[in-house]
Amino acid sequence: MLLTADIVPVVLATGATARVNKRVAPRFRVGDRVRVRNHNPLTHTRLPGYLRGKRGIVETDYGVFAFPDTHAHGLGDKAQHCYSVRFTAREVWGATASERDTLRVDVFDDYLDLD
Amino acid sequence: MHGIHDIGGMHGIGPIAPEENEPVFHEEWEGRAFGLFGATYVFAGYTVDEFRHAIEHIEPAHYLESSYYEHWLFAFEALLIKRGIVTREELDARVALLRKEAE
Repeated sequence: MLLTADIVPVVLATGATARVNKRVAPRFRVGDRVRVRNHNPLTHTRLPGYLRGKRGIVETDYGVFAFPDTHAHGLGDKAQHCYSVRFTAREVWGATASERDTLRVDVFDDYLDLD
Repeated sequence: MHGIHDIGGMHGIGPIAPEENEPVFHEEWEGRAFGLFGATYVFAGYTVDEFRHAIEHIEPAHYLESSYYEHWLFAFEALLIKRGIVTREELDARVALLRKEAE
């Protein structure tokens, strides 16, 4: 397939979305306390290393998306929910971090367990 | 993959210094690299995740010293070679030709 001038606007408008139009049950709900798995594959992942093992609270469910860890390797979209999870700065960075700061990270369903 | 791209939270790299009135592209070729994404994405049929993973294979020291769109260029080359659309020899020959023309 070639990128021709007539399809450029469509590709630019929609080409990069990873949202998948499938019904998949979420494993977590807003407000759930979760713990990030010690997920450290040699292959692609969108889980930042600094979150492994950290505890947070699900704040938003964005809906269903292609899972980058399989999608990057031609292993299918493994469609699943992606959430905004809130972590305290202390939880992530330790005792020298601000007591007030929090961070929100987009985290896929497969990266999490209920805490 | 826990590589140099996964830099979040690392100490000692200095402050982030946003550029004032930053242009969309710093060099003309960066605009062409941006255009190549759409063209190769459709033509070579990769996913954005495979594209990101290709960038993760840049040698760590080079990763830190090269620009955002150089990372893209590395991924285009890696994925087009992987798909058999171009060969390493063809790329090297083209670079050698362009270098000669520039001299």
